[in-house]
Amino acid sequence: MRSTIEETRLDLLCKQAVYGLTESEIEQLQELEKNADSSIDSQSLELTAAAISMMGLEIEPMPDHLESKILSRINEHAALASNADGSVEENVFTRPRQPVPAESPSGSSVWNWFPWAVAAAACVVLAVNIFTSRNTTDVADGPKPTPTLEERLTPAQQRQRLIETSPDVARAEWGKGNVDEIAAVSGDVVWSDERQAGYMRFRGLPKNDPAKETYQLWIFEDGKLEPHPKDGGVFDVTDDGEIIVPIDPKLATKDPKVFAITIEKPGGVVVSSREKIAALAKSET
Amino acid sequence: MLRNSDDAEDAVQEIFVDVWKNAARFDPAQASETTFIAMIARRRLIDRIRFSQRRISADSLEDVLAEPADRSDKNMQTAVEATEAFKALGELRPEQRQVLQLSIIQGMSHQEIADATGMPLGTVKTHARRGLLQAREIMGLGNMTATREVSV
Repeated sequence: MRSTIEETRLDLLCKQAVYGLTESEIEQLQELEKNADSSIDSQSLELTAAAISMMGLEIEPMPDHLESKILSRINEHAALASNADGSVEENVFTRPRQPVPAESPSGSSVWNWFPWAVAAAACVVLAVNIFTSRNTTDVADGPKPTPTLEERLTPAQQRQRLIETSPDVARAEWGKGNVDEIAAVSGDVVWSDERQAGYMRFRGLPKNDPAKETYQLWIFEDGKLEPHPKDGGVFDVTDDGEIIVPIDPKLATKDPKVFAITIEKPGGVVVSSREKIAALAKSET
Repeated sequence: MLRNSDDAEDAVQEIFVDVWKNAARFDPAQASETTFIAMIARRRLIDRIRFSQRRISADSLEDVLAEPADRSDKNMQTAVEATEAFKALGELRPEQRQVLQLSIIQGMSHQEIADATGMPLGTVKTHARRGLLQAREIMGLGNMTATREVSV
């Protein structure tokens, strides 16, 4: 009986960390917490989820106007707290050169806390961006950022740059799949775990009609054709000759062993039936 | 678009106030500042989405993020966090890793994961729970004693 209660509590804690809880679930968890005898707590699970959610992301800067608003609001809180205990009369955030003995409402020094709070401003904007963009199907339609050096290079140059700058690059040669008409495919695929980037180079992969079908990459990490490979993204072939396609994995990929190209409906699929395998490549490392 | 941009800015401001209020709970021995703030941000955003029952549009965030980048040590800090999480997930069973990535990073529900992967719903829930608990241990986050107040 006790283990069942603990199981329910753990289920709720995990759900809280990943999805949040409903009002009734919150009440249920509060009740279970009264008699909890486990060291597992909600905050540690939430921190774990937060760390995972930051995988593969880049910091975004906070706009000046938003930073000003936030500093203003923090100022208000600081002033209120200071006035409440009488230790500080002035606005601590507008007097950066003054020694500030005041304590924050939570007991830690304002000046100990403030620098990393400002430094983390970008992180908070990033978190909003991550959470909202990953929970919406809307397509961003705003101003485009200035292209980076990487973006200005051709796919061939980007591939070469990856090979030259990533010591951990793995390589695999393309061979035929199960489609007789595509028996002459060749080329290779390179991948870097550290960079989470890679490129496929093909020769002999026929042009496809994007209105009817598309090519889709699948990445197998354990060397077998396991049931649930990573989706490596879709692409179309519109030219003859050699083509180079960047790999766009939807999930973090580690030590890929086999790469497979299937032919799917436009837009790709979540789970492939693997009826048409255009090419296969097995990693050499 | 304007309304959504306002939503995003409101959310960021609320998160900062939450960070301020919860500053005493920050323990550098348990987690980095970045992870702590990311946790507060996730809480607030989950609450907002649950409350509003609608999702904030990504395009509105273009307005918020339109300023030129000032990339310095902040990138490196996040990279460290990402590396730790990446290593932790690498030690999990592939099924556990996949379920955690689809739920936490992609925002998919357990039912959606079951539909997409072909795993039974109960198996997805089991992988999610065991994977999260194991990742917590691997990342050394298992020594926290404070419990979240359920009403932030």
